[in-house]
Amino acid sequence: MSYFRITLVRSAIGLPRRTTDVLKALGLKKRMATVFHAVSPSVAGQIMKVKELVEVREVDKRLTKQEVRLERKPDPGYYVEKYSGAEYKENRTA
Amino acid sequence: MMFKPSSPLFSGLLWKIPWRISAPQKARQRKRLRAVDRVVDTVSAALARNGQTAKPVTRWFNEMPREEEMLPKDKYTIFDKKEKKYRKGIHKLPKWTRVSQRVNPPGF
Repeated sequence: MSYFRITLVRSAIGLPRRTTDVLKALGLKKRMATVFHAVSPSVAGQIMKVKELVEVREVDKRLTKQEVRLERKPDPGYYVEKYSGAEYKENRTA
Repeated sequence: MMFKPSSPLFSGLLWKIPWRISAPQKARQRKRLRAVDRVVDTVSAALARNGQTAKPVTRWFNEMPREEEMLPKDKYTIFDKKEKKYRKGIHKLPKWTRVSQRVNPPGF
């Protein structure tokens, strides 16, 4: 089972009402919003209606909103040190 | 002198679309054409992997040229019956950065 990962990159402001409605049906409410839909001809038809506005990738599993957000999280630039004992135990089990 | 009198500044609301499309505009137009090609390719590949087809996708492949197959004439100009040589810049098309305009009437 694969999924379409659809991201709205261009807004539909000023475009025909139908275009906005298709975006709404796909669940895309604002720019840079990402939704996941199972690969099917009907979803493909919807994507074709708004192909100029979206970016599409085929992925194996759908991510939650939180996971999509985490992808954009920058590297904090630091890490928290641990006691040598805890690190040793972690390395033993891994 | 700070104020340079020109028609848009002198008389209320006057926006002018230049006659010619600029080189960076053309480059971005090509980029957008390729982006649309990429979306359609992704969708058709995903469907093919599932053994499915969709009418709009097959129709697109039958009727529409890809960016690299298009003539510069078709990339940057569109047919207009009111123009002298039946052609005007694609940047005169309303919402031209968000609509697909690839083919023209046969013979033009």
